[in-house]
Amino acid sequence: MLTQKLNTLLRYIELILYKTYADLKAETKRTYLGFLWWIFEPIMYMSVFYLFFGILLGHKTDNYVPFLLTGLTAWQWLKSCISHGTQTILGASGLMQQVNLPKVFFPIILILTDSVKFLFILTLLLIFLWIYGYGINITYLALPALLIVQLLFAMAITFFLAAIVPFLPDLRFVVENVLLALFFMSGVMIRSDIVPEAYRDYYYWNPIVVIIESYRDILMHHNWPDGSALFLIAIISLICVWLGARLIARFEYIYPKIML
Amino acid sequence: MKDEQEEAILSLRNVGVFYKRRRGIFGEQFWALKNISFDLYHGETLGIIGRNGVGKSTLLRLMAGIIKPNKGTFVNRGYYTSLLSLQLGFIPYLSGRENAILSGMFMGLRKKEVKAKMDAIIEFSELDDFIDQPIATYSSGMKARLGFSVAFQVDPDILLIDEVLGVGDAEFRQKSTKIMQEKIRSNKTIVFVSHQAGLIKQLCNRVVWIEEGISKAEGQADEVLKEYHQFLHLS
Repeated sequence: MLTQKLNTLLRYIELILYKTYADLKAETKRTYLGFLWWIFEPIMYMSVFYLFFGILLGHKTDNYVPFLLTGLTAWQWLKSCISHGTQTILGASGLMQQVNLPKVFFPIILILTDSVKFLFILTLLLIFLWIYGYGINITYLALPALLIVQLLFAMAITFFLAAIVPFLPDLRFVVENVLLALFFMSGVMIRSDIVPEAYRDYYYWNPIVVIIESYRDILMHHNWPDGSALFLIAIISLICVWLGARLIARFEYIYPKIML
Repeated sequence: MKDEQEEAILSLRNVGVFYKRRRGIFGEQFWALKNISFDLYHGETLGIIGRNGVGKSTLLRLMAGIIKPNKGTFVNRGYYTSLLSLQLGFIPYLSGRENAILSGMFMGLRKKEVKAKMDAIIEFSELDDFIDQPIATYSSGMKARLGFSVAFQVDPDILLIDEVLGVGDAEFRQKSTKIMQEKIRSNKTIVFVSHQAGLIKQLCNRVVWIEEGISKAEGQADEVLKEYHQFLHLS
């Protein structure tokens, strides 16, 4: 019985990994330049911000460009996981009519593919920062932990949304706009000292602010990030990941019925 | 000790399944299955006959463990049950080989098992060198051949087959129908759903007749089919 369960688990992990590989590969095959787009696309995207802030608004000297690109890199990863991940269970309706699989597969696969693409962008960011003069330092040791915290946070939100959206497909439009609001309110583009003193405590209640500032601490300021805040985010996210997975499991046999 | 052949491996008792007519929490209930009862025994080929739209596909989904009943009891005594699905999870931009692995894995095989069967898949599908081309370049016949060849390699305890036996062009259809019939006639446990009485009679030992979500009769193929025909002429 136990070996059978273990076998099933192994089969599921293997399937998740192969499907992730297959999705990534399919994406590279769809265009002429293939996986190079995982590099060009973020470069183009970030160039827009560089042109606007670095040149047009003249932030050339005050380190605003590395500040912004660091924030954007972290933000884009979170945003793509949430915005794509929200639709995953809804989008798998055809497959789930044919075969009984844990539906939590679908958001996991999406988060994995988006995270692989993020690793390319992160590498680019690091190279840019090194060229700009922000070298490797001892606080880089905290980077893997920070990445895991952000991954858990992304999973927590994505699981919940993916679980609910099949019942309320209209929610997708709300999600996009909430993400836009979060983009402005999570310190991607602004320094926290611009936020009025009276609101600053509340501002830091936003976990995305904490995560993004932690990247800047490590990559630019060579400071250790706020470990206790990150730990708290990790614990709460972990609980929410578990709850989200439970929620999806609860609707396991309902999803195929509502999405005919 | 009880004989293994005697105990039902799947049992349905007064099973009902409803869908909601509208998406969301509200919406009127629509009972696709109202009252279904029958048993499936080890090694038999059970036919399920009924006109279109009487809930046969819902019944297959239920037996495959994809959905659960809203009333009644459905018992599966630990057997791996799967629906024969052609081209399951195929991705157009990937090669035939990669799609075969992916599809086989979706249907319950391990990667190494699909790989071990790859030669058989390539041979039966007659794809030769095309196996490493993206399936977006395949004709629909080639895709159908690959889909069938992969699905045929999957070997669950209970195989559920919906209607279609053979696929592809005339020649391959004949070949695939033949091999499928061989599989059905073998000692495997199979549920075969169709609205064609002829095929059911040819392949199945026992038959369940479904009408309007209710199991009207269960028993030897001849008898149940006779009742079914009488009903068709009356209605």
